Amino acid sequence: MHQLPRTGRLHPFTVLVLAAAVVAITTAAGRWWLHTAVLAGCLLLAARAKRAGKLVRLGAVILVPAWGSHLLIHGLIDTGGGHVLAAAGPLRITTEGLVTAGQLGLRTGVLVVAGLLCSMLIDRHDLVAAVDLSSAPPQAGYLLAATLSLLPRLAQRQRAIGQAQALRGIPLAAGPRGWWRSVRLRSVPLVLSSVQDAADRSAYLAARGFPAKGAHTRLREVPDSPAQCWVRRVALGAMVLGPVALLAPTWVGQG
Amino acid sequence: MSRGNPLFEVELERFRYSGDGDDTLAGIGLSLEAGSLTVIVGDSGSGKSTLGAVLCGMLPRHDGEELEAVFEIQGQTIRHGTGKSVRIDPVGWARHVGMLPQDARHYLSGVRETVAEELAVGLENAGVPRAQMHARITALAHRLGLGELLDRDPETLSGGQERLVALAALTLDGAPVLILDEPLAGLDAAASARVAALLQQLRAEGTALVLLTRAVDGSVDGADHMLRLRAGRCESVPGEQISIPRNEVSAPDRRHSPGTAALLEFSAAELGYPGSAASAVTGLDLLVHAGECVGLAGPNGSGKSTVLKTAAGLLNLRAGVLRQGTKRGAGVGLLLQNPADQLFERTVHREVAFGLPRSTAVKIPEVLESLGLAGTGETHPYELPAAARRLVALATVLIRRPALLLLDEPTEALDAGGLEVLRAVIGKVLDRGGAVLIASHDEGFLIGVAGRIHRMQPVAQAAR
Ligand SMILES: Nc1ncnc2c1ncn2[C@@H]1O[C@H](COP(=O)(O)OP(=O)(O)OP(=O)(O)O)[C@@H](O)[C@H]1O
Ligand SMILES: [Mg+2]
Repeated sequence: MHQLPRTGRLHPFTVLVLAAAVVAITTAAGRWWLHTAVLAGCLLLAARAKRAGKLVRLGAVILVPAWGSHLLIHGLIDTGGGHVLAAAGPLRITTEGLVTAGQLGLRTGVLVVAGLLCSMLIDRHDLVAAVDLSSAPPQAGYLLAATLSLLPRLAQRQRAIGQAQALRGIPLAAGPRGWWRSVRLRSVPLVLSSVQDAADRSAYLAARGFPAKGAHTRLREVPDSPAQCWVRRVALGAMVLGPVALLAPTWVGQG
Repeated sequence: MSRGNPLFEVELERFRYSGDGDDTLAGIGLSLEAGSLTVIVGDSGSGKSTLGAVLCGMLPRHDGEELEAVFEIQGQTIRHGTGKSVRIDPVGWARHVGMLPQDARHYLSGVRETVAEELAVGLENAGVPRAQMHARITALAHRLGLGELLDRDPETLSGGQERLVALAALTLDGAPVLILDEPLAGLDAAASARVAALLQQLRAEGTALVLLTRAVDGSVDGADHMLRLRAGRCESVPGEQISIPRNEVSAPDRRHSPGTAALLEFSAAELGYPGSAASAVTGLDLLVHAGECVGLAGPNGSGKSTVLKTAAGLLNLRAGVLRQGTKRGAGVGLLLQNPADQLFERTVHREVAFGLPRSTAVKIPEVLESLGLAGTGETHPYELPAAARRLVALATVLIRRPALLLLDEPTEALDAGGLEVLRAVIGKVLDRGGAVLIASHDEGFLIGVAGRIHRMQPVAQAAR
């Protein structure tokens, strides 16, 4: 259920900062082999957490359309490049265009895959607790908790509505047509009941002190260690200084 | 603890929902001293839940709602009147007056992973240090027998467990005045006793309790004030004269003799929920014949609802055998424990008509009438009192004339009139040769309607 793989008890911020540093440096370096290595590394980490399949599936859902549009814009109808490989009407395929499309594709790939990997490795409850316990404004944690629980809550409501409808003789979805039918039947009740549910609960949430206005504590302990603290600092430094170091020579060259 | 000097005083002139032609509440005065217990008894629809919401500052919520009242709380006077609406700061108010809603699920925040964290919410937002939170939660969970649930996901609790957790959370949130709407509904005998003891202790510590209830039960012993609510008007009932009937036990109805055809048979069955490794029920043997009414009893979390859901085809069997006299799913009707899980349409009529062929839909007015719901067709189910809402859910089941009727805690929230309707419904199903299986904590009711009672054990115990 909620047993997300605990990556050797990492603090959510450690995962986030590391991912951000890796993405920043690879993007700044702009080397295809580095991008490929990072993508492979992400897959490896996902495989260790038994989430490789999911990463590939979700990644494909986001990346295939993105890559398609890169290819369309830069690869097939490039207007700038000189090495024309083929041309027919508005279509103009150039080496430069294909290279640009490939570079952009790799860049988006790293961003998306690293982001997805983070979302799979970080327990959302740990993340909320980490924000609550950090020096972020007191409302931030609640806002995050409410946002992150939105989808699971909707999924739960829609399961309940599906069961209620099954009790009225509407078969549970089977096949694409059944799926479409159930989406149609459930969507309006889902919206109405979510609004109702929010109204029912909001008064009690406020009564229990949400969102916290001042100093607050958390029962949950977020895994952390002095070593991780250092890793975060180093990664944060690398995230800022890495790209600067990589890009500075090109600026100097230009200037 | 100082009695005699009120924590909370209320002079409620009147309250009216927007668009309503009539006042829902009128002429109610309350004075709550520290450590006092005030019981407000009323039938379904008499205005108990509205009164509770007004007392804890959740009503008026919209501009159209009219409240004329004076509250005096901790030396502050708050005046509501026509023309000027006072916006109550919910957090400030809730520090003084806390409320356990009738649907206890609403009290839970739903944004925490475990029961322990859910219990901690109020303490966390008040900035209580972790060690202290931990100690208080463990101690209270132990008192209420919730120890084993602390690591569970709050979304996967049984109905009774949910109420107990909500009550524990409310207690920890620590308001000096607590309003409890049917706190014992759906709790087993042991849990009821623990809650009653907890309420006694809270009183001893100076908490003022207001109990909203439709039937007088164990939780009202030693009440300081008894009030009866009728159509939103309050009358005080002096202590000695009180003779409100306890949930009465009627003589069993033995008109029906079971036939030989089995409509439902579990043997050596193991039941559980997808996504949870542990089984909720093991080694279940249960046989229900046509023409028979069987009760299903057992402590909270022993798996009564799980059995009914499996029989209705909502859950799959993990092991063992399930035989049904009717086609799987067809001919079986289930009334869920929480009507909120069963209702999803905008009006009562649309609700009952959902998924029906036209030929059956013409019978809707007749079914509504037989359940005492005539005239509610165009109402939103959520605007109905809890008892009527449960009966609407029942109507969605009855309109299909199930051969096997499964009822999960059907008596919860029903008043005497509702119980009468329910008995008639059960009688009719048996008359036409169907069978009824009822899961309930209401022993009196079960003894009255069921030919026999199947008792369930919690899984851990059964395994030993
Ligand atoms: N959706 C769910 N997922 C996982 N476990 C669940 C779920 N719902 C209930 N359970 C667990 O299954 C067990 C049986 O629950 P069930 O609701 O059948 O109990 P019950 O006898 O109906 O209790 P009550 O008297 O409180 O209604 C309990 O331990 C409960 O916590
Ligand atoms: Mg139940």
